[in-house]
Amino acid sequence: MRVGFVAAAAAVVICASAVLAPHAGAQQSTGQQAAPQGDAKAGQQVFQADGCWECHGTVAQGGAITGPRLAATALPFDAVLQQLRTPQNAMPPYEAAILSDGDAANIYAWLKTLPAAPAASSIPLLSN
Amino acid sequence: MSKRKDATGVGRRGFLKGAAIAGAATTLASPLTAQATPTPPKRVKVPQGVSEIQKAAETTAPASMSNLPKGAENLVSPTSGSDFMVEGFKNLGFEYLASMPGSSFRALQESFINYGKNTAPQWIECFHEEISVAMSHGYAKVEGKPMLNLVHATVGLQHASMAIYNAYADRVPIVVVTANIADATERRPGVEVDHTVQDGAVIVRDYTKWDDSPGGLQHFAESTVRAYQIATTPPMGPVLLVADSSLQENPIPEDEKLTHPKLPRFTDAQGDQNAVAEVAKMLVAAENPVILADRGQPGPNGVLNPLVQLAEVLQCSIVDIGGRMNFPTQHGLNQSDRRGAVLAQADLVVGLDMTDFWGVTHAYKDQLHRSSRPLLKPGTKTVSVTSANQFIRSNFQNFQRFTDVDLEISGDGAQTLPYLLEAVKKAMSDDKKNAFEARGKKLADARKASFKAAETEAASGWDATPISTARLCMELWNVIKDEDYSLVAATQPGGYWSHKLWKMDKSYHYLGDSGAYGVGYGAGGAIGSALGNKKHGRFSVSIMGDGELMVGPGALWTAAKYQIPILTVMHNNRFYFQEVMHLQAMANRHMRDPHTAKIGTEIADPNIDFAKMAESFGMKGFTVTDPAKLGDTLKTAAAIVKKGEPVLVDVVSQGR
Repeated sequence: MRVGFVAAAAAVVICASAVLAPHAGAQQSTGQQAAPQGDAKAGQQVFQADGCWECHGTVAQGGAITGPRLAATALPFDAVLQQLRTPQNAMPPYEAAILSDGDAANIYAWLKTLPAAPAASSIPLLSN
Repeated sequence: MSKRKDATGVGRRGFLKGAAIAGAATTLASPLTAQATPTPPKRVKVPQGVSEIQKAAETTAPASMSNLPKGAENLVSPTSGSDFMVEGFKNLGFEYLASMPGSSFRALQESFINYGKNTAPQWIECFHEEISVAMSHGYAKVEGKPMLNLVHATVGLQHASMAIYNAYADRVPIVVVTANIADATERRPGVEVDHTVQDGAVIVRDYTKWDDSPGGLQHFAESTVRAYQIATTPPMGPVLLVADSSLQENPIPEDEKLTHPKLPRFTDAQGDQNAVAEVAKMLVAAENPVILADRGQPGPNGVLNPLVQLAEVLQCSIVDIGGRMNFPTQHGLNQSDRRGAVLAQADLVVGLDMTDFWGVTHAYKDQLHRSSRPLLKPGTKTVSVTSANQFIRSNFQNFQRFTDVDLEISGDGAQTLPYLLEAVKKAMSDDKKNAFEARGKKLADARKASFKAAETEAASGWDATPISTARLCMELWNVIKDEDYSLVAATQPGGYWSHKLWKMDKSYHYLGDSGAYGVGYGAGGAIGSALGNKKHGRFSVSIMGDGELMVGPGALWTAAKYQIPILTVMHNNRFYFQEVMHLQAMANRHMRDPHTAKIGTEIADPNIDFAKMAESFGMKGFTVTDPAKLGDTLKTAAAIVKKGEPVLVDVVSQGR
């Protein structure tokens, strides 16, 4: 099928603000815990290999329609893990069978190393 | 069905002789321009009455036949039925005819070129019927009227079928002519038999508005005019004529008095006036009305201008669903970016020419257990104004889910809006005006905020390699913003960023999508739209997917051959990107190897060199991988377009 992602994509847009929001009834970590130590370099590799980049971009900058920016996320690790295991929108679930908690921690570590997005006002083409 | 007569010679001496070229073809009247008031009937100046061929035959000496050696009269003829057919097409003012050659219409092709002088319509050579029909589709979205298509019997029509379906789903008028030899005894053995059918039109009948297989020339003349009228009456769509090869190739019988019927002045269906008055009262009374606009009639006569007038009187939210350029992107009342928020607050939703009212008013989850929820609060009133239900078919279900609106008004959106505007003005009271102004100010503030948010979103990944789609779009905008531009085709990210950040306020600033989301529209559609824009001096630009272009790359050659100016910017993410995301979703759902989604979806290893490909087709090509070099390259390319040539810039880009 060549098509069909339009509706899904629209759903993502609608729910974008909730993409990584922690929610009640979490099956795994429920409290806000300190992020486990992760290997940022390994995390970058997993981010590319496991398809996270498809919706969030190769440097986690976020994609048009698909997924929000993740680079330098301010979200706690357990919220990220929660979204991976039981996503609240059209995001594909990443269960432990295909993405371990350790790999998730590595991805999180990489995301935290990324710089904050530049201000739009610092980019002439976006200073309207 | 008309018989070939050369085998027996019967009637040969009775053929019309010495046909002269018909007078200059007339053209359609100027596009309808009245938008503040209801559109007047379509006025088309079409010569009618006795065929010019027959008139000429009565007065012109058949010198070419009188000097023939004995026996030659059974070998040659100065005219043919195809000349008469061409005369009918010329009368309707077709500017262009797009086609991949095919022997089943060899007489028609020769008549268009020699009898018709290859002008109005001018023959545009294409490499595939999916390209030629898509060209017509794209052209009609600019001009609001059809381009002509000729497709080879059987094989060509099957090639064309997906492109015809796109036009059907997009409610765009195209006139397709194919051929056949109905009489089996008239068919040459071999290939001609392979290319003939019992009922050729059945291949596409489920997604054409009308078809006919005329049995005689007079019948063909009448069906030509009928086809044009049906195609251009909302809901617009494709029509098909079958020109039997025998009818094309046989000389015109002398004893047959042929005439071309006139195309009547005709009006499009408008909403019932009582119902329109009722909706006007609802709009005036509502606290948070929302008007949705999607896929009305294409071209300059769509809803854009009357919708701006209505919105400014009501000071209400407008959400452009994107089937057409329905509302200025930077207008304060444009709440398309805030669709979910305004629908959640709405107490009245009025949809104009909606393709999928249900889909827009519901959130849907594509998960293992699919689910949906309404976006509207209980009690919100819904109204639909559409002509789509005046023409609906069963098999192809692009009519989407049934929407249980409170009131459905059968009529064309653009035709109904002027009446709705007058009814709203009549229903308005002075005390409402202050409240409306306050509402409009809040909406304008929200639009400013969403614009700023989009700028912030676009900044993320600005210097990334591969180049971000936001940067691609904004570097492009910087090059075209002072031009009279037309975004003739765009991938999803292209449409996303342009609608968020570009200033778009003319019907041709954005021409929508393929209609049925069939990959393959983009290349031909873009070229067709650019051809429509050419005479207006507009700067055409497309944001083209790599997978999309590879369905019909031959369209680039057509652009080069006919010097159709267009800047093709490749959004080259080296994937069938929707598909890689779908495959990723399935692997994850099944908890299997998440690394495999690129198998069968990646367009890499080897990477396609689109710049070289463009060069091989006869146009200049550039490749950009460094975001810092994108702006200058686009400026260089734009200068080439302004000289009247096509050019391609391959931008190696992020997926979305």
